[in-house]
Amino acid sequence: MRRTVLAAAMALSVTLAPGLLAQRGRGAGPAAPPTPRAAAPIDVTGYWVSIVNEDWRWRMVTPPKGDVASVPLNPEGIKAANSWDPATDGSCLAYGAAGLLRIPTRLHITWEDDRTLKIETDAGQQTRRLLFDRSQPVPARRTLQGHSVAEWEIPAAGRGAAQAPRTGSLKVSTTMMSGGWLRRNGVPYSENASLTEYFDRFPAPNGDEWLVVTTIVSDPRYLTQDFVTSTHFKKEPDGAKWSPAPCRS
Amino acid sequence: MPFAAVAGYPRRRPSTSPAPVCVAFLAALGVLAGAGRAAAQVDLTGTWAPIFHEDQIERIPGPDIGDYAGLPINDAARLRADSWMSSLLTLPEHQCKPHPSTYGFRGVGNLRITADFDRATQAIVKLNTHIQWQEQRREIWMDGRPHPPEYAAHTWQGFSTGRWEGNVLVVTTTHLKAGWIRRNGLAISDRATMTERFIRHGNYLTHVYMIEDPVYLTEPLIKTNGFMLTLNPAMPPYPCRPAVEVPYEKGEVPHYLPGENPFLGDYAKKHNLPPALVRGGAETALPESIKPGFKPAQGTRPGTRAPRSGAPGPDAGETAGVKSMHVQGNVWMLVGDGVNAAAQIGDDGVLIVDTMTEAQADALIAEVRRIAPGKPIRWIINTHVHGDHTGGNAKVAEAGESIVGGNFAAQVGQAAANSAQIIAHENVMKRMVDPDGDARPATGLMLPTDTFFTGEHEIYFNGEAVQILHQPGAHTDGDVIVFFRKSDVVVAGDVFNTRTFPVIDGPGSLDGIVASLNHILDLTIPRDKQEGGTYVIPGHGRLTDEADVVDYRDMMTIIRDRLDAARKKGMTLAQVKAAGLLRDYEGRFGASEGAWTTDRFLEAAYR
Repeated sequence: MRRTVLAAAMALSVTLAPGLLAQRGRGAGPAAPPTPRAAAPIDVTGYWVSIVNEDWRWRMVTPPKGDVASVPLNPEGIKAANSWDPATDGSCLAYGAAGLLRIPTRLHITWEDDRTLKIETDAGQQTRRLLFDRSQPVPARRTLQGHSVAEWEIPAAGRGAAQAPRTGSLKVSTTMMSGGWLRRNGVPYSENASLTEYFDRFPAPNGDEWLVVTTIVSDPRYLTQDFVTSTHFKKEPDGAKWSPAPCRS
Repeated sequence: MPFAAVAGYPRRRPSTSPAPVCVAFLAALGVLAGAGRAAAQVDLTGTWAPIFHEDQIERIPGPDIGDYAGLPINDAARLRADSWMSSLLTLPEHQCKPHPSTYGFRGVGNLRITADFDRATQAIVKLNTHIQWQEQRREIWMDGRPHPPEYAAHTWQGFSTGRWEGNVLVVTTTHLKAGWIRRNGLAISDRATMTERFIRHGNYLTHVYMIEDPVYLTEPLIKTNGFMLTLNPAMPPYPCRPAVEVPYEKGEVPHYLPGENPFLGDYAKKHNLPPALVRGGAETALPESIKPGFKPAQGTRPGTRAPRSGAPGPDAGETAGVKSMHVQGNVWMLVGDGVNAAAQIGDDGVLIVDTMTEAQADALIAEVRRIAPGKPIRWIINTHVHGDHTGGNAKVAEAGESIVGGNFAAQVGQAAANSAQIIAHENVMKRMVDPDGDARPATGLMLPTDTFFTGEHEIYFNGEAVQILHQPGAHTDGDVIVFFRKSDVVVAGDVFNTRTFPVIDGPGSLDGIVASLNHILDLTIPRDKQEGGTYVIPGHGRLTDEADVVDYRDMMTIIRDRLDAARKKGMTLAQVKAAGLLRDYEGRFGASEGAWTTDRFLEAAYR
C-alpha cells in the first residue's frame, strides 16, 4: 500500500512540475519591475483622522513644563524639557516628523507621483514626502520633516500565497531632521535623531478602516533608548472635516 | 471545565503518529502546488517586554478616578465607573482576579508566546500567550476550530482563534467574562468580543486590539501596545490566595451611590483639563473636541443595544431542541429553549434538576437517554414552582422509575416504582395545588412526591452527597439551590440567571435574591485566579463560576442599596423609574419589552 501511494505521489510530481515551471514565465525576458505605486500591497491614501485615546492628556492639550511622563529622556533631555518656554506653545517645532503623528490631526495621504507618497496634516499644515526612489540625493540641509525613504515590506510568498489577499507594510526611514519636540511642551528630539515608521492598514469587524503607525525614534543625544509609540487613525470618506490650522514658526 | 469538553465539540489533537515518508513527500508537493491555507511567514514566539512609552501613568501606577477621556463609552459605562470604589478590590472574591485579555496586554510583566505544533504536518495548532502578572494564560487556536456555543462558560482570557493575514496574526476572542478596559471602574460586559492584530517589525511587536461591546461602548475601542523582544525569559510564578483584609458585613459591596463620588472632578482640576471632555465619549477622541465651542454628546447617545425581550415567562418556550454540556464530575448542563436543567449521571441512575416546560420534556428525556444510555431516571428535583422548570414533571417522571420496597412500598404502592420521585420544597407543592389566578391546579405525576419544610434536604446518589438548600423569599417562596458536593456543581434555579434582572414573584424579594446569591458564594470555591473550581448552572443563561456570580451579586447589592437610599429619600416608584437608577446595568440585564421588563423588576423590587 505504502509503495502504491509513493508511486502515485511521484507520478503526480512529474505531472505538476512542467506546469510550475511554465508559471515562472519560461522563455520570457525580464519584465520591468512595477512602480512602487503599482506594487503597493496596501492602500494608505485618503483622509485619516487621529483617534486619541492613548496619552490623551499629553496629546490633546499642552502638558505643563517638565511633564515628560513615558518618554525615556536622559539627563540632558530632561534639562532641555525643563527649559521649555510656555510662551512658545504652538510652535512648529511640535510638528516635526518625529512628533507630527502624535499631534491630534487629520492626514491626507496621496501619491504625488508613482514613486512619492505625500502626507499632509491639517494641524500645523505640514507636508512630508516619502520617497521610494532611493536614487534621490539626500538633501544637504536639515529640515523639520527631514528626508524620508520609503519601501514596501511584503511577506515572502508562502504556502497558499496565490489565494491570500495582498498584505504588507509601509516602512519609512527618516533622517536629516532639524530637531523638534516629541510633545507640545518641548520634550526634545535632536538633529541627531533618526526615525523609523511602519504603516499598517486593516479593516475592523464593523467595516471601519484603520491605519496604525508604529514610530521608533532613536536619538543618542536626548534619549536613553528608542522611543516607541503606535498611533492609530481612522479612515474618513472624504476631506469634509479637513480643517487647516498653521503652527507658529 | 475546559471549552473542549462541550458535547459534540470537535477536538483536534496534535498527531502523535510517525509521519511516513510518502506522506511527507505528498505534503511537500502540496507546498509546491500552492495548496492549503496561507501559513505564517513570521515567528511571534519568544519573550517580549512591554514598552511603556504610552499611557505609562495609567498603565503602571494606575489611572485617576474619573478619567474617561477619549474612550467611546456610553452613559451606562459612565455611571458604572462613577459608582466604582477601589475598596471593592479588598473583598476576598475580588483579590485574585487577573486582568482579562481585553486589558492584560496593557499591564505589567513580560509576555511569553509559545507555539504547539502538529507533529506530522508541523502546522501550528495553537499559540499560547502568558503574561506574568496573575499568570494570564491564554490559548489561541490556529486549527480552524469553531468557537464554543453561547451557553459555554466564559473565562478571563476568553476563547481565541487565530489566522494569518500575511505576516499579521489576527485573533478573534469571544466568551469573555465581564471585565474592564481601564482600572478605574470602566467596565465591559461579558457580551464583549475582541479582535487583535499582532504585527512584528524586526524586534518590535505592535499589538492592536479592538473591543466591541454592545452594552458599554458606542463604537469599537481600539488601542495599541508595543513590545520589544527580550533575551531575558524571566516569567516568575504569581500565586494568589485571597485573605480578609478589611472586616466587612457579610455581602457588603463597596460602591458610591449616584452623585456621591467626591473624587470625580479631581482629575480635571489637577491637570486643568476640560471637565466635559474628561467624561469621555467617542467624540472626545477627535481632534476637533479640543477646539473652542465643541460640546460632546455625552449622555444623549444611547448604547448600541436594541430593545430586548426579557426572560421567557413561566410558561414560555415551545420548541423542542435540548442540548447538553458536560460540566464536571457527574453533572451535565441541559440547555433548552431559554431555560436550563441539569442531570447527575452515575451507576445509580439519573437525577434531573428541573424538567423544563411540558413542550420541551420529550426532548429533555431524549437528550438524557443519549448521554446516559440505559440508565433510569430515579430522581427529579424542582428548584421552584414555575412552569418552565416543572412543566415537564409528569413526562420526565413517567420516563423514570424508582426503587420501592419495605414500608415505603406499603405507603405508596408498588406502582410508584413506575416513575421517578420528585423532590421539592413544600411551598412548591402548595403553589402547584393552589395556584394564583386562573391557573389550573397540578395533579398526578406533575406533583412532588417528596417535600420538605426545613432549610435543607439531602440525599446521597451516584456516590455523592447532594444538598438541597431552601432559599426563603428570593425568586419565589419555594426556591432551592442544589449542590452536588463531589462534582462541585451548584444548580441555582432562578435565584440566579445570566440573562435578566432577577424575576421576583409573589413572596420573593430583592433582599432574598441578594441573600441567596451570597449563599451560593458560600458554596463556591474557585480553582485559581477567581476562575473555574465550583461551577454554577443558572436557571437561564450560560454556565458560570464564582466570578460570574460575584459580578451579579455585586450588581444586585448595588441596586438594592440605591433603592434603599431612594426609599429613605421618600421617592415614589415613578420617581425611581425616572431617575434611571439601573441604567448602568440595563443594557445588559434590562428589557423594554417582553415578560420581564426593567419596569416590572423595579415594581417588584421597590415596594
